[in-house]
Amino acid sequence: MKYFFKSLLQVIPVLFIISLIVFILVNVTGNPVDLMLPETATEEDRANLIQALGLDQPLHVQYFRFLKNAVQGDFGESFRYNQPALPIVLERLPATIELAVTSMIVATLLSIPLGILSAVKRNTFLDVLITGGAVLGKAMPNFWLGIMLILILSVTLKIFPVSGHGTFLHLVLPAITLGTGIAAEMTRLIRSSMLEILGQDYIRTARSKGLMEIIVVNKHALRNALIPVVTIMALQTSTLIGGTLITETVFSWPGMGQLLIQAVNTRDMALVQAAVFVIALFVILGNLLADLTYRYLDPRIKYN
Amino acid sequence: MKRFGMMVVTMVLAAALTLTGCNSGGSGAVGNEKVLTIARGADMVSFDVHNHNNTSTEAIHVNMFNYLIKLDENQEPQPDLAESWEQKNDTTWEFKLKENVKFHNGDPFTAEDVKFSLERVAKDQSLLEHTSYKQIKEVKVIDDHTVEIITHNPDPVLLNRLSRLGSSMLPSKYIEEEGWDQFLKQPVGTGPYQFEEWIRDDRVVLKKYDDYFGEKPKWNQVVFRAIPEEATRVGELMTGGVDIVENTPPSDIERINGNEGTHVQEAPTQRVMMLVVRMSEGNVTADPKVREAIELAIDNQAITDNILQGAGTPTRTRVTPGTFGANPKLYDKYEYDPKKAKQLLKEAGFEKGLKLTLSATNGRYLKDKEIAEMIAAMLSEVGIQVKLDMLEWSKYNEKYQGKKFDELYMIGYGNSMFDGGYAFERLSPEVAKGETDYNNAEVEKLLEQAMENMDEKEREQQYQKVQELVAADRPHIYLHQVKGIYGVNDRINFNPRLDELIIADDIELK
Repeated sequence: MKYFFKSLLQVIPVLFIISLIVFILVNVTGNPVDLMLPETATEEDRANLIQALGLDQPLHVQYFRFLKNAVQGDFGESFRYNQPALPIVLERLPATIELAVTSMIVATLLSIPLGILSAVKRNTFLDVLITGGAVLGKAMPNFWLGIMLILILSVTLKIFPVSGHGTFLHLVLPAITLGTGIAAEMTRLIRSSMLEILGQDYIRTARSKGLMEIIVVNKHALRNALIPVVTIMALQTSTLIGGTLITETVFSWPGMGQLLIQAVNTRDMALVQAAVFVIALFVILGNLLADLTYRYLDPRIKYN
Repeated sequence: MKRFGMMVVTMVLAAALTLTGCNSGGSGAVGNEKVLTIARGADMVSFDVHNHNNTSTEAIHVNMFNYLIKLDENQEPQPDLAESWEQKNDTTWEFKLKENVKFHNGDPFTAEDVKFSLERVAKDQSLLEHTSYKQIKEVKVIDDHTVEIITHNPDPVLLNRLSRLGSSMLPSKYIEEEGWDQFLKQPVGTGPYQFEEWIRDDRVVLKKYDDYFGEKPKWNQVVFRAIPEEATRVGELMTGGVDIVENTPPSDIERINGNEGTHVQEAPTQRVMMLVVRMSEGNVTADPKVREAIELAIDNQAITDNILQGAGTPTRTRVTPGTFGANPKLYDKYEYDPKKAKQLLKEAGFEKGLKLTLSATNGRYLKDKEIAEMIAAMLSEVGIQVKLDMLEWSKYNEKYQGKKFDELYMIGYGNSMFDGGYAFERLSPEVAKGETDYNNAEVEKLLEQAMENMDEKEREQQYQKVQELVAADRPHIYLHQVKGIYGVNDRINFNPRLDELIIADDIELK
């Protein structure tokens, strides 16, 4: 418990550094004022708008103002929507979580059996097939896979809807798109963790007692091999969130990723900052969760 | 240990099921024939009708709001919320308003609303559409259904102004009582469709308004979806998920036409692609012979045929048919003569060739990158070495606003005013300074006269003359008028409009 609070405290400096990076990046990418004004705008219009947005202040003044407000959950107003940025982002959160969780389920259901199979049948043709498939799955870019799935399963075979959000059917293709890369990664990790355990003494003992292989694998090895799996799952948070950006754009999935991409394109700074912050928080919490479950599941790690 | 793992899995599953369980309704036109769905690349920007200059946003507004006047397909003014109008003197117009018109919230539409709507945009300088309405001095309420609109100077374009984006009629009582923020959340108009919901960057949903003063709305619901990914948009059309897709890539035309139940429709738009030329001293393009050589080196037909697959018409003017003052002698024409171009460069003293920079956007206009590359290749054929400066939109825009381009940049301009004067605003000396540095006293005089000329015939001739002078001076080298490419479901009749608006009730089931 004490350790948990200690880790939680470490989150604060990390968020602070992220805020600084986001602020600087947003500021070097260009001036939003030019994008907001029409082709007939005068210099005077420009100056007025810069002043209204507080962009005429020195950078450090702007940053501290931004930080002061951000701490209170106020990231400023999205200029495209004339509304506070954070609520808009939070409104989109459920759709993203829905996609992320489903993709995780897809990845888990795929990778646990495949990883184990691959480890048990080590160096057979099946193993080569699975590890080869994992390399392929990792290498396929999400947007390409998404567009291919749409072409084959929606346009040609008309099984699933092309895009949007609503029914369970809408969820299938995006979840497969996002889940494949993660499944590939997890399969490889599970395989190596299983191999490590299969080489340990107690498994040799079990085998020498003449137990059936299937019992050895399922009863003795699997249990211990699954310990890291939980951690591996939690560690996928960042891959998952990164993947939602592309996947949501391809499938017009109304989540945070799509919002962030549009906000970057239109230089909607307040929205970008709010979205990046929420995403960073998720990644940090995911990693913290991984850390904690690992300690909980493997008592050999000391709490200090 | 095992129990813990199981617990995690169960929890995740439970969470997923609850999440997928709470859903908004399904979508798409499949199975519901009274829903019209339109897919486009980007979301609308705002419900503030005065504070955007975005045609695809207006395409939604036009179903929810009315103007005083609407232009028919021949660009002739027809009554919309105004019953009739007459000009009292050079600067005063009287409008009789339709009676028994109700806003979606039940408020009656009166002269007060006209005053409120037009004076807001005419007086508030911070609004994006202000420049197109600052000519209006005041709106006088004569009685509940009569107003006088008074302009600062004689304004021959007033009727056009009152039938385009920025002149939608707003509910003054509702806005004064509830405030702007409430209006932006829950917009109210007089149009055939009323606001249902707006999910940012996803969709805007409108539903029919039964008390509409005009013909009964044809659809129960009209849905405008934002689908940024082109392949996904086309996929939605081919599976019947949407009825109309905008901005279809030319490479998909054959696929859509070959697919069962969908076809492609092309229609001219007001957008003209052009090269803007810096004529200032110290640039190679200051020499008229060099500018002529550039035009002669470009084979416009090759661009529209090969890159756009026919979705463009070569032009030597920005004022295209359907816009007041169009000059037919310059439309669907181009000059291509590489031999003469070389000759001209030789005369200008560039026998060994010359270097210049062409800046262009990437992904903003139809096939812009490919067009710029092709132009660079064509220019090099006659000995002009082009440094191609491809910029993403915000960088480009920064240079554009700061007037920091070199010899040439490529841009596409529309004309939401349907008037020749609008097409030459950027060539007036104060705007052109530092951009083209164009300065032709004759052009300037003609434009000034035309701006306040109430004699329609004469005014038309003035604009036609301006176009001829500009075509000869070449501060802009026009390339082609862009056609809109729409993918359409066979179940509907849809004729794309010149102004690119999507008017749901003009679209019907077959």
